[in-house]
This record gives sequence, structure tokens and C-alpha cells, in this order.
Amino acid sequence: MSRDLAVSGLCAGYERLEVLRGVDLAVGAGELVAVIGANGAGKTTLLRTLSGLIKPSAGEVRLGDERVAGVPAEKLAARGIAHVPENRLVFPTLSVQDNLALGAYARGRSGRADLVADRQRMFEMFPRLRDRVTQAAGTLSGGEQQMLAIARGLMARPSLLLLDEPSLGLAPKIVKEIFAALVRLRDDDNLSILLVEQNARAAFKIADRAYVMDRGRIAMEGRPTELLNDPRVHAAYLGGGYTADPTATAR
Amino acid sequence: MTDFLQLTFAGVSVGAVYALIAIGFVAIFTVSEVINLAQGEFAALGGLVAISSVASGLPLVPALVVALVSVAIVSVLMERLVIAPVRRMTTLTSIVLTLGVSTALKAALLLFYGPNAEGLTAFSAGFIDIGGVTIRAHELWILGVAAVVCAAVYWFYEKTTTGKSLRACAEQPVAARLVGISLGRASLISFLVAGVTGAIAGVLASPVTFTAWDSGLTLGLKGFVAATLGGLVSMRGAILGGVVLGVLESLTAGYIDTGLRDAVAFLLLIVVLVLRPGGVFGRHAEARV
Amino acid sequence: MALPAGPLPTRGGVLPSTGAPARRVTGWRSRRGDLIGILVLIGFLALLPFAVSGFWVNVTVYALIYSIAAIGLTLLMGLAGQVSLGHAGFFAIGAYTQAVLVTKYETGSLVASVVAVALTMTAAVLVGLPLLRLRGHYFALATLGFGIIVSVAATESDFLGATSGIFGIEKPAFNGRTYDSAGEYLLLLAPVVVIGLLLARNVVQSRIGRALGAVNDSEVAAESLGVDAYRLRLQVLVLSAAYASVAGSAFAHWLAVVNPNSANFPLSVKFLLISVLGGLGTIWGAVVGALAVEGLDEGLSRLIPNIVPGASGEVELIGFGIALTVVVIFMPGGIHQAWLAVLALGRRLRRPARGDRPEAQRPGVPGKNRGEGAEPATSVAVEEPSLAREDGPAAGTVLLEVGGLTRRFGGVVAVDDLSFTVAAGEILALIGPNGAGKTTVFNMVSGALAPTAGTVTVSGRRVEGRKPHVFARARATRTFQNLQIFSSMTVLGNVMVGRHLRSSAGLLRGALVVPALAEEQAIESSARRLVELVGLGEDVDRLAADLPFGRQRLVEVARALASEPDLLLLDEPMAGLSGSERRELARLLQRLRAGGMGVVLVEHDIDAVLALADRVAVLDDGVLIALGTPKEIRNDPAVIAAYLGVEEDDEEATELTLTEPGAEG
Repeated sequence: MSRDLAVSGLCAGYERLEVLRGVDLAVGAGELVAVIGANGAGKTTLLRTLSGLIKPSAGEVRLGDERVAGVPAEKLAARGIAHVPENRLVFPTLSVQDNLALGAYARGRSGRADLVADRQRMFEMFPRLRDRVTQAAGTLSGGEQQMLAIARGLMARPSLLLLDEPSLGLAPKIVKEIFAALVRLRDDDNLSILLVEQNARAAFKIADRAYVMDRGRIAMEGRPTELLNDPRVHAAYLGGGYTADPTATAR
Repeated sequence: MTDFLQLTFAGVSVGAVYALIAIGFVAIFTVSEVINLAQGEFAALGGLVAISSVASGLPLVPALVVALVSVAIVSVLMERLVIAPVRRMTTLTSIVLTLGVSTALKAALLLFYGPNAEGLTAFSAGFIDIGGVTIRAHELWILGVAAVVCAAVYWFYEKTTTGKSLRACAEQPVAARLVGISLGRASLISFLVAGVTGAIAGVLASPVTFTAWDSGLTLGLKGFVAATLGGLVSMRGAILGGVVLGVLESLTAGYIDTGLRDAVAFLLLIVVLVLRPGGVFGRHAEARV
Repeated sequence: MALPAGPLPTRGGVLPSTGAPARRVTGWRSRRGDLIGILVLIGFLALLPFAVSGFWVNVTVYALIYSIAAIGLTLLMGLAGQVSLGHAGFFAIGAYTQAVLVTKYETGSLVASVVAVALTMTAAVLVGLPLLRLRGHYFALATLGFGIIVSVAATESDFLGATSGIFGIEKPAFNGRTYDSAGEYLLLLAPVVVIGLLLARNVVQSRIGRALGAVNDSEVAAESLGVDAYRLRLQVLVLSAAYASVAGSAFAHWLAVVNPNSANFPLSVKFLLISVLGGLGTIWGAVVGALAVEGLDEGLSRLIPNIVPGASGEVELIGFGIALTVVVIFMPGGIHQAWLAVLALGRRLRRPARGDRPEAQRPGVPGKNRGEGAEPATSVAVEEPSLAREDGPAAGTVLLEVGGLTRRFGGVVAVDDLSFTVAAGEILALIGPNGAGKTTVFNMVSGALAPTAGTVTVSGRRVEGRKPHVFARARATRTFQNLQIFSSMTVLGNVMVGRHLRSSAGLLRGALVVPALAEEQAIESSARRLVELVGLGEDVDRLAADLPFGRQRLVEVARALASEPDLLLLDEPMAGLSGSERRELARLLQRLRAGGMGVVLVEHDIDAVLALADRVAVLDDGVLIALGTPKEIRNDPAVIAAYLGVEEDDEEATELTLTEPGAEG
């Protein structure tokens, strides 16, 4: 049930500050695409614009045949975009179960059996959540909250899953677990995934394609194997005279 | 000792009324950070509509229903017409706005119902003697109904999807939007909850304290003080706060001076606000700069 | 509901932002406007008794009395940003004191009003000391409680006449003449109102007014420049109570009776309505609002019985309630906003081609030639040696010492046992991946956040856990990741706030203007000089919020420099700047270093960091993982791993290479 995402010329920002200055990218149906880049490059703004939290000032976003640029977040949830936000943002006093139930809020009055079955799937994917099903979400560890946030997003049965730095603050072991789950989602469910990450290495290991963002634009694109050893990616994080112009040579 | 019990019991029953009004404050504030200074008017309106319905011939129970529905309509209208249109609502703005509505409502009540205070017929007449303590039968109704309402509120927020979605809005508005919850609708529902609980408080209180066009002022403010004891975000705290306030008032009036009754709430308010150290609404909400 | 709007702050003013141009008007044109207004007012009041019936003169007297209290309330709400729902309490204290002294102790009316003011101001101090520490809406509701307590106290007190109050207060008499008719009372009140307006206006345009305006725009930024918001708000509260007291004294004489109704809640609401309706953007709002409200009151009480027969007088309350609600929703700036709209329309009709900007004109310094001191604007800073202050600390002196700094949020350790120093004449960069805790460190050092453990010492002074203005007083300041410019002010205004700690005129000197004149001129000229030095010369009189982002950043820096700090903290100053802007800022920072300043920089632009910094500290997950020269850091495998990420199987590999310095990660 996945659809592809096509973004062209996307511009967005806050009040006086233009953060996205014409972003073009695409996520094919069933593809796992990573977006990496230094802080301030606009990765989070990109996801917030795609999920409807921010209204773009220019550009187009298509999900399948549907134009979704500028649609507010509460309506986009029903149209198949699930955004797992930075810092997870689970509902702290609500239980794991309730968080998951609310994840399906946009689906409206689904049959009971449907929800239960979906929840079961989440528990299979993230067994740790099953152990804590009645616990308040705020008492979970960082890794468990991340799993819960992802599961909550999945409960909406999205065509496109947006993830904002899921590895933030988590031990490498947990990151591995979570990323393995993402791979399963792509392989088994054919889900389209757009993964924003600072941990480029881990992201590259599971992505089909990757983009490098720099100062509001896409600076590079390619397969992870190509990008991994490209000194320009290294430079994008740690300096070296790299600019948005791909023809500039690294120092 | 019987005096003490008498006063305490009276305090608990009036405190239950405060608690119901306090619930309304918390319901609205948690979702939208609006402090609704017209909350007391919801109660006064409820009482007055019930009284006039009974006076025009309706039996008690249908009159109560009419009262609840009327206040529900007013609360929803208030949210749609006054709260929703404001783009950048700060808490201070909400105070001034709801103050305006409260003033207008008071005047409307004066216009339609006249200046005199009236009392609704008690749900059960007469008095009951328990171990030397005399209580009104109606006060048992107050406690009973209040308890049921609190249970209903608990059930709503803990067990229903709508109630949980309201809590989600309060705790994580961004994530709430992302799962499809409409903040505007949540605000509307919260006002509805506040209207209904306020109206119930008004009809419960009326037989004992009598309702007039300006009853809303003291009722609302005392309900607010009770809500503050729960930090404006905790239902449990608000309910407990209401009872504590009611008892303190009653004991002060009985043992110290009846005239000081109203001052207790505000002294309590100032004391609580000042002594709350840093806390939830403290000195610097960690400024995200 | 306050939806997160992204990294930039939303302005937390008292009322929803009007979009109207700068509330803070510092131009000479506004002074002329005020002077004209006062002449008009005097003329109006002088002619009134001859033009209208005694009834309307009566109404005007009430309006003037209330307007005096409202001037104070407008100062409190518009300038100090605090809503008071119990101002009738101060009004009543003044009225009762006047009444008691005049009737029971036969004091002269003037002496009595002075005593009344003193008493009311004391009450304001007692109320304000604990309550102003509260967040805005709690203060508002606590004042509501205060008002009711005063009302209850008056009702219960036999000394104050309980419910009947005190009556038989005689009209004031001076030089043998008793002022008992409405016209004569008007004569008495007019100078009081005029003086009240003048003093209030002077306060608004003084150093204190500027500081409070800054607090309204961004309390965090104002505090970082040394403004003690709490203390200033307290001063304004006390001042507003004084105004209320004077009004109360006037009321007592006029009505000849003072009873608990003078402290009741509806009166507090009326004061609120007067201020809001008139417009919180100007102290004139108090007078205009009072005339409007009293006029409305009278008009309605005549009109309503014709429309709704048998309706009692209080029905005006419906009008008031609706008026308050409608004004706040649709015209939050009140009548003042409508007036400005009319003026703007008029201007546009007269000169359609000109793209003119209202009010943000050349700020004039009274009595001084406007051309003086204004250097020709250059957009590129001329090569000057440094921006140092004269007796700054010698190069190498330790300016900042951070020891064992730790911060926990619940169970999460955001910053763990961090220690480093910064010396004069050095630039230290603080880098690290997202979530590493850099901004938390900044906030702890600058006083925006209290550490869980550890110490922060600035030039020998311990400042951890203290408020930001203490940090500022230690000659240190900071800029902000999401810009915190004062959006209601011009560029010049912003930088002038930066001079707050290098000047001293308080409320009194500000109100009287003349004693603070020299200092104001000095503040302005040094601010202008600084604006030139950072290259913003041509924008000096523009509204800071109108500038493009990069230049707003420069405004923040200039403003920080205006306080003459020895230590400067910059939180992601390069964010949002173009390449050339980054280079310019980098050059500026180099000049600052050359001048002996110590600079701490949080930055993600690694190029800039590596080029600029003398030393680099790398934070990851709250822990300092490296501290060294840029070259060392760039090749440090731990640093590389922190940024680009590492996988479980890579961990061991990295650990091995850590023991071999210089190996590629």
C-alpha cells in the first residue's frame, strides 16, 4: 500500500528565516531513503514541512498522485504520512497501549479486531513494548520510547514513514535493533521510509539511497556505498572547505 | 466536637461544589492554557435556568436537564466565538478575554433574571441527624452527585479515546497533531466538559447558597483557587483542593469570623502561589533559546 | 493553543500582537505629538465647562479621576507587561486614607494625599515583592485576590465605617477658595492629569522604559544584558499604585463618600477596560479610554431604558463586557490602534508613491543638533584595531572557569561533570553532535538554567544558579541561537538597551528627564558608534525586525558588545548567514579577540570553527570527549565517531585507534 513521494523546489522556514531553499528529493515505493547532514542543514524542517507542521512557502510535494504540500498535519495523518518526531514525543502519562491506540486515531472507527491485530504486530516487532504494555510511556527508557514512537506511527497504516533522528541519545545496540526493524518494514511491508539521521554510518547500512543536505538544499545524492567513502561527506560534517557546489574540491 | 464535625461536613459539601468548578478550570487549561474567568458564570447560569424552569412548571429533573443543555450551548458558543478566533493566545490574553465574557454574561443574567437571589428547590427536603450532627438531606445529594461526576470525569479521561486525545493534546501538542488529533476540536470539547461540570455545580449549590446574577464571581474564583492547589493541571489535585478549601472556609467562619469567609480563599491563593518553590510553573520555565 | 512555531520565539506580550508599528517610539516627532496632545487636552478641558451642560462636565470629572488611575495601570500593563485585576484595591487604599485623614484627623487635603500615596506605595511593595516572582497570569489572579481582600477588610472594619464607609468628606479648599462645582474640580484635576501624563510619558521614553520594553520583547535577552526584570517591574507596580492612590484621593473628595464599593471587582474591571480600550500602546490610552468609557456609560444608561423598558442601569455591563471582548479580539491595540490606522491611511493618501515607514524616524536628542555625531554610513567595517574597553583584563587572564558542571533532567544526565576554562584574548569553540548538551551548557553558564552540580566562575565571581543579569554584571553576556532581538525597537534602540549596565538613571531621574539628559545622549552616541563599527550604519533607524536574518544577527552582536563585556558567549552565530556574512562575522570575532575579549562559540559550521578557534571542546552525550587545537580535534577518532556515528562492531575498532594519536578514524 505504499506510494512514492516526490518533492520539488520545496521552500519553507520560520517567520524571517528561510531554512529550506528549494529541496528536491524522491522516495520510491518500498524504498528506504536516508537524509544526512550537519545540524542547521534543515533536515528536521524538511520533515516538519512534509508532515504538515509547517506550511511551505513554495514547492510541491506529491504522495502518489495526491498533492499534499500545505495540508495541515492533522489531516495528513489520515492521508498516509506518519511522522515520528525528533525526541520521540510520546504521550508521557498515557500507557503504551493508549499511545498505540492514539496512533490509530486518524483511521477513525476501525473494527476492533483490526486494531488488536495491528497492536499484536507491533509487539512482535518490538517485544520490549509487550512487556510494558500498561506502563506509562514517560517511564520507558529512551530506546523503548523510540520504539513506541515508531510503533505509534505505524498504527496509522501509513504509506510513508518519516523518522527524525531515531538514534539520538541511544546506545548502539538499541540503534541496531531499531534499524533492523526498519529494514523488516521495508522488506516485508514494502513501506516507504524517509530516515533523517546524524548517525550517517548506521543510516547508510540500511538505506537504499541517501541524500546529503547542506544549508537548506540537497548537496549530494547517491547510493550509500558510494557516499560512505566519499571525503566530501566526511567534510560536510567536519569541515574541509566543502560547499554546496559539488564541483568544489575538498581541502 | 459535634460543632467541629458539623462545620467539617458543611465544608466538605460546599467544597464538593468548588471541586466541580475546579474541574472545569483544569479541563480547559490543560488543553489550551486558557484560564476561563467565566467558569463561575457557567455555574450561575445553570442555577438560574433551573430555577426559572421549575418556576415555569417543569418538574425538577427535566429542569436540570434544560439547565445543563443551556450552559453546554453557551460554553460551546464561547469557545467558538471568543477563543478559537484568536490566533496567538497567551494566558494573559485569555484572562482578559474571558473576563470580558464573564462581565457580559453577568449583565445578561441580571437583565433576564433580575437582581434577586433565588434558591432552587432542594433535591430532598429536610434535615437528617447523624450522631448529633445535623445535615441537610440536600447536602447528601451534593456529595453523591459530585462523587458520581468525579467518577465520570475520571472515566472520560482515563478510558475513552476522546478523553485520552485531550490528554494527548495537553501533554504533546505536536505529536497529537501528527496522529491526527485536532487541537481546535479538543479545545471545544474541553469547554463542553467545563460547561457541564460548572452547570452541575451551580444546580447543586443553588438550594443551599442561593443563586443570583453575580454568584459567579465568588464561585468561579473559589473554584480557581481550588484548581490552583492542583497546579491547574491535575484533576485529582483540583478535587482535593476544592474540599480542602471548603473545609478551611467553614472552620474559619465557624471559629474565627463569618465575615472572613471569602477572604480565606484569596489568602490561601496567595500563600500557595508564593510558597510553591520553583515547581511546575516556576521562576524560569527552562527557556529554550 | 501555543503551537510550536519552530526555533524562533513568539512574542509573549500582554495582548495579542497588533502588528501595529513600534510601540516604543523614541523619535522627536512623537515628542512633538505629545506636546500637541497636551495642549489640545488643556484647551479641551478649559473650554469644556462653557461648551457643554453641567451634566457632561460632571461625567468628565469622573473620567479624569479614573484616567489618573488608568495611567498607572497602562504603565503596569503596557510597559511592565503585568495584568492587574485588583487595581481598585490600591485605589481604595488611597481613597480611604484620604477620607480618614480629612474627616477624622482634620488633615489638609494635600498632606493627606501625600500620606495616602506613601501608604499605597508601601502596600504595593508588600504585594509586589512576593507576587511579581510569579508567572504573569498567576500575578494577575493574585492581584484579583488582593483586591477582594481589601474589599473584605473595608467591609469588616468598623474604623473604616464597615458597609456604610466614611462620609462627609469636604471638597478641597486652597487659598480660601473651595473647589466644589464640577467646573472648579475640573480645574483642579486638569494639572494633575497633565503632570501625570508627562511623568508617565517620560518614564516610557527613559532608560527604565527602554529596559522594560526590552523585557516585553524578550525577557531572556534583556536579562542577559543586565536588566533585572523583577526589580523594574516592582518599581512600576509601586508607581502605578501611586497613581491609583492619587485618583482615590480625588475620588474621595469628589464623591464625599468612600465605601467598600470603591474597592470592588467591577471597578477593577472598569480600570482594565479603560486601559485596554484606550490602547496599551500609549499612555494617552488611559485618558482617551476613560473619556470613552464614561461617555459610553452615560450614553448607554440613557439609551437602554428607551430600548429595553424597565432595564436597570447595570445593563451597561453587557456593553462593557462585549466591548472588552471585541476590542481584545479584533483591535487589541484599542482606540490607539484605530488612530494609527487613520494616520497611516492619511499618510498614504497624501503621498501614495513613497514607501514610508511610520514613526521609526531619526531619533532626536532634545537640544542637540541632529547631524552631530552621525558618521557617514559604511556597510563594510573600516579596519579598526579592536573593540576593547580601556581597562579590560590582560591577555591570558582566566575569565571563565567551569568546574564539574552537571545537569540532570529527571533521570537523564544532559551534561556530565564538565570542566574547562576560557582566558582573555582567546576563542574557545564548543562543538558536538545534536543533543550533546551544548546549549544546556551555555544556559547554565549564562544563568538561564541552574546546574544540578558544579561551579561557574566569571572573573572571580561565582555565578552558577544566579539569574542572567548577575552574569551580565560580571561583564559577560551572550547571544542566542534563535534570535532574541527586541522586535518593537529600531536597531539603535536594541543597541541602546545593551548600554543598560553602563548607565544608571533610575525611575525618578527618568521621569524628570533633565537629570538624565546627559546620560541619555551619551548612551545614544555610543550606541551609534557601535552600530557603525559592526557595519549596520545604514540600518541604524530601521525597525530591527525588518532586517534580513543575517543583519539581525549582527544587531544581537552589537547589542551584546554595547555592555562592554570581557566574556562573550555566542550560540550558533553563523546559523542562517550567507557565506560572506559568515566571513564578516568571523572577522569581527577576530577583532574582538585581538582586543582582549574572551569568546566562547557554539557552532556547527566547522569551517568557521576551525579557522577561528584557538581551542576546541567537543561534547558528546553531555561528556567532554576532546579538548585541543582545531587540528588535533579534526583528526581525533573519537570526535569523528561522535559525529558520523559508529556501529556496535565498529566500537572496538575505534577504541583501539584512540590509543594511537593521529591515526585516521
